[in-house]
Amino acid sequence: MTIISLMKQVPLPSEMRMGEDGLMDRTKAKSIINIDCGYALEAGIQIKNENPDAKLIVCSMGPPSFEESLKKALSMGYDEAYLLSDRRLGGSDTYATGLAISTMLKHLGFGKGLDEDFLIVAGRQTSDGDTAHVPSQVAENMGIPQATFIETADLVDGNIEAKRIIEGGYQMMKLPLPCALSFTPTGIDPRRPSLSGAIKARNSEITVFSIDDINLSDEKIGLSGSPTIVAKVANIKSERAPVKMSEGHSETELVNSLMENIKSGKNTLEVKEKKEKKEKKRPEGFEEIDFRDGASGILTWAEVVNGKISRPSLELLTPARDLANQLEEDTQVTTLLIGKDIQDLAKELVAHGSDEVIVVDDERLEEYRILPFSEIFAQVIKERNPEIALFAATTAGRELAPRIGVKTDSGVTADCTALEIGEHINRKEKKIFAPILESRRPTYGESKLATILGFVCPQISTARAGTFEVPTPDENREGIITNFEPKLKKKEFVSEIIETVRGEGGLQSLFDADIIVAGGRGATSDDLKLVQELAAALSEQGVKAEWACSRPVVDDGTAEYARQIGQTGKTVRPKVYVAIGVSGAVQHIAGMKESETIVAIDHNAKETIFSNADFGIVGEYQDILPELIEKVKSGFTFGLEVKK
Amino acid sequence: MDSTDTVSTDVLIVGGGPSGLAAAIHLADSLKKRGIDDKRIMLIEKGNAIGSHNLSGAVIDPKIFKTFLPDVDISEIPLDSEVTVDKTMFLTETSDNALPFHPPYMNNIGNYSASISKLCKYLAQIAEDKGVEIYSGFAVEDVIYKDGKVSGVKTKDTGVDHHGKNLKNFQEGTTVEAAITILAEGTRGSVAKKVIDALDLDTGCNEQIYSLGVKELWSVPEGNIEAGTVYHTMGYPLQSGSEFGGGFIYGLEDNKVALGLVVGLDYKDPSFDVHAAMQVWKQHPFVSKILEGGTIQEFGAKTLPEGGYYAMPKFYDDNLMIVGDSAGFLTTARLKGIHLAIESGMMAAKAAAKALVSGDTSKASLSYYNELFEQSNAYEEMYRARNFRQAFDKGMLLGGLQFATQLITGGAGVLGRLRTEKDSEVLMSLNAFTGVPFAQRFEGKLEFDKKFTFDKVTDVFYSKANHEEEQLCHLVLNNPENYNKVNIEQYGCPEASFCPAEVYELHTDKEGHKELRIHAENCVHCKTCDIKSPAAGITWVVPYGGDGPDYEYM
Ligand SMILES: Cc1cc2nc3c(=O)[nH]c(=O)nc-3n(C[C@H](O)[C@H](O)[C@H](O)COP(=O)(O)OP(=O)(O)OC[C@H]3O[C@@H](n4cnc5c(N)ncnc54)[C@H](O)[C@@H]3O)c2cc1C
Ligand code: SF4
Repeated sequence: MTIISLMKQVPLPSEMRMGEDGLMDRTKAKSIINIDCGYALEAGIQIKNENPDAKLIVCSMGPPSFEESLKKALSMGYDEAYLLSDRRLGGSDTYATGLAISTMLKHLGFGKGLDEDFLIVAGRQTSDGDTAHVPSQVAENMGIPQATFIETADLVDGNIEAKRIIEGGYQMMKLPLPCALSFTPTGIDPRRPSLSGAIKARNSEITVFSIDDINLSDEKIGLSGSPTIVAKVANIKSERAPVKMSEGHSETELVNSLMENIKSGKNTLEVKEKKEKKEKKRPEGFEEIDFRDGASGILTWAEVVNGKISRPSLELLTPARDLANQLEEDTQVTTLLIGKDIQDLAKELVAHGSDEVIVVDDERLEEYRILPFSEIFAQVIKERNPEIALFAATTAGRELAPRIGVKTDSGVTADCTALEIGEHINRKEKKIFAPILESRRPTYGESKLATILGFVCPQISTARAGTFEVPTPDENREGIITNFEPKLKKKEFVSEIIETVRGEGGLQSLFDADIIVAGGRGATSDDLKLVQELAAALSEQGVKAEWACSRPVVDDGTAEYARQIGQTGKTVRPKVYVAIGVSGAVQHIAGMKESETIVAIDHNAKETIFSNADFGIVGEYQDILPELIEKVKSGFTFGLEVKK
Repeated sequence: MDSTDTVSTDVLIVGGGPSGLAAAIHLADSLKKRGIDDKRIMLIEKGNAIGSHNLSGAVIDPKIFKTFLPDVDISEIPLDSEVTVDKTMFLTETSDNALPFHPPYMNNIGNYSASISKLCKYLAQIAEDKGVEIYSGFAVEDVIYKDGKVSGVKTKDTGVDHHGKNLKNFQEGTTVEAAITILAEGTRGSVAKKVIDALDLDTGCNEQIYSLGVKELWSVPEGNIEAGTVYHTMGYPLQSGSEFGGGFIYGLEDNKVALGLVVGLDYKDPSFDVHAAMQVWKQHPFVSKILEGGTIQEFGAKTLPEGGYYAMPKFYDDNLMIVGDSAGFLTTARLKGIHLAIESGMMAAKAAAKALVSGDTSKASLSYYNELFEQSNAYEEMYRARNFRQAFDKGMLLGGLQFATQLITGGAGVLGRLRTEKDSEVLMSLNAFTGVPFAQRFEGKLEFDKKFTFDKVTDVFYSKANHEEEQLCHLVLNNPENYNKVNIEQYGCPEASFCPAEVYELHTDKEGHKELRIHAENCVHCKTCDIKSPAAGITWVVPYGGDGPDYEYM
């Protein structure tokens, strides 16, 4: 067996810069192996350890400087390293990257048929791209099954058994070889190279290919061959003023200082007067191009979870309707609903704004599965020819959209927070492309907002959960409900879902709470007892309080999934959010950053949670919390009004 | 575990500072001169990259480069600037006066200021070009012995949790078998310490004593200080008579300035805090006006071995040599060790080349290293200054006088060989110490604004220190029970004061119960705790390779 690890080298996230042109300036930052890719490398080694005959190879695409990280992979234990490096690849988007990498793999002899004995492991996403597309795109290009957001994987009797992270839980999956897996950075930490490995790596050669070597033409790669472009990059101004830290030498002083700070209020940002935007003049004499070529309408996906339409899929109907309104008058919003016994759900979609619901009711499709679902989409898109396709950026949506994109040759924009119809002016060619979907997404650790444009229909985007409101349902709204019979082959069902474990959706109280006390990995030495006590003490005072946690705490079994806040958990907006021992991983921040006031308590002053907080205490939670609980018992409620 | 994790080499060098790199380069040169090209030279450095763990002042005496790199013009070496102004200032709390004369040995005109991190990177490139294999990011945990003789080293296992349990990503360390092992670990080498002990290499020597240097690199407005200007300060904030040391301020290119305070670790006050003392020193008008309008770029700290000639261990044994700071090659009187580190590396290289040619790497063969030393400039310099530091036990001014007499009498002074005591033993318990405690001495000056003066946590941020959490704590409490009884109760946890990186915290809970907390992730590898902790409370062991500070221009 061959284990192929796809690896990218990225600038150290804290040192990342983006060039004026919206492309990465890699020159100034230190380089590391992309975090998620490190987990994939380790996952490959783990499987090799159990299957000593397996060969480990690592592949990458990028400038020659990537050799540094490939050497590191070799020193971790990989046997061979390949780098696809060619100037003509510069500016490739994820579609072009997926194409180029799979062409390299095919050149290496893989991807000829489904009886081959190989496994592709990749990182879930990269810190300088954040799209999570490439693994899906490679899998589709190679024509093999895939599973993304994998935490751990084993080879059992010739099949891969993998644990896949999903919203509110996990799924155990079984996939045949060959297949592709993408790994989250929550599994087994990447090992450090051994000295003997480093010595071996020093003496081994990295094979470097140009695109000519692998017979890849430059038509579909690079800046000009990519279906999407980065049109604009703007800074995102932090909406949170710098944190106010407590000062003191003992927990009593620290807690007193916190109380003082809360009383005196948070730091405020200077709000600069916004300048009136100048009306942009449309240049004259430019050729106007409607590249849609007859494509029309907006297609969305309604994801069904536990027999219900998931909230993010309903949220999606808000931007879908807005976009339709900005386009031609008769632009339709069509929603594709796939599942088992779901006819009733179609009406709910109409009530929320779908003009038409296409229903695929099939008992094999009760649970979401990438292969049949992407195939169904491809068939529907072929028939309906929509100009835009939208997906909620859930774990399913984020792997489904790019796989579909490869089938339709479109680019995909991941995890958008704003969608608008606009135009693209190409001054060099004197052309105006309109109307076009402007997809805006935060990148670079949420510091920049990039506008991405795609020139192939459907223009595909995934929208971040929790960004858009669920439209107000109107039970009297009318719409068409159509049944669709896809043609599905047996090979679409080669991977199985062994088990799906989802915590009860429940705990609505988390959405209603005025104050949430959340414990992270750093607050578990007492199994979150103090966290719960603090929440209980607040309840006793008559505040609506609830406790919650971050993902690792759920993973280790200390708390149930329903209490998890973050990207794969709940998104909450309480008046006060108290984060205790929470490091502040972006995935967690995504679920709580809209809270009115954030208080962070952690022993490590360097944790990122503090740059997302209004008030902070550096200290051991075992010392701080008892003190804080006492203060709450004598009336301190983090500035919240008490209604007895 | 498995035999594939053993590699072998002819010469293994532990540490990529000036001494180790000089040994590597000069060995490659010497072998080439003898027409030998089949010997393998390997160098292992724990820093993430060469240079990332190296900190110095530094003003370098450049003479050594003529013999060390004969084909290289001094202008090609990435030194910072030639020293053109050199003053020693005597500070009182409010005043500054230039000394009308240079304290002995302290003349720096014609020397060069430099960043040792940068210098090491440059030397590493030269070494690589000459065929030396350099592996950075690997920590040597111990030497291995065969028949009681050193036969190589082993690197640290990785992938264990903080209880020492193997994790799924466990990676066994690599055993390196070497005909000759050269320890170039710098100050208080953690492997050298064990070897010196195991082979009794310090029998009859003075106790090695140390100073701690706390350094910041600043970027200041044009005109604050010229490149090539160096100041040394004596006096304030240190107490004449009980505290040895002083400050340095070196003007560098691009309006950078390197500054630091170096304090002998033979002070007595258990609450003394070198990092805080440096912040106090920065508030002295003489220093603050140089920094005015500037911003900090980097922070770091490191100890220096100051015992001098009489404290040097025997630096060779069967298959083993020790070079640089690890062997005590440093002249305190000049605050200089780099040129001696290089010279010692070269001498060890010569001895290694000779031994490899003859196939005899025994103690007798390697004693050639000592022979070379006794005829060297290094010996000349160190022997003349052999009682310098001990004399200063009597206090700075008095010591200065005595050192002057020493120079006249050729180093012997009036007393012959002066003895030293271990730094950890000089420290006084809370009860025994009758002087004014540190915090009281500098009342009003210990509130740090985080812009001009810094608390330790803020400063550590600028060292970019980091350590993986999943590993055994690399600061080992040798006897926790005794630690509570002695270090906490009698000494009031001096570690919390002397550690410049806020690694140690004395925590007192509501019931008044006290316990030590260790924030190992902050450690900047200065080794002070290994040296100064009373009753040998703490041992510094090497953490995972690549962990620690990440200096760029220190
Ligand atoms: C504040 C200060 C100011 C100074 N000013 C001057 C000056 O102005 N001029 C001057 O000439 N000298 C100065 N010195 C002294 C000079 O810096 C040292 O003498 C010199 O750096 C010693 O070189 P070395 O190679 O022995 O050790 P180092 O430079 O310390 O190098 C040792 C290397 O070994 C590595 N290492 C250690 N243990 C291990 C292990 N177990 N495994 C792997 N790697 C390991 C370390 O990471 C380090 O990189 C100063 C020192 C200090 C602290
Ligand atoms: S823990 Fe020890 S070696 Fe580390 S910075 Fe503190 S005193 Fe120095």
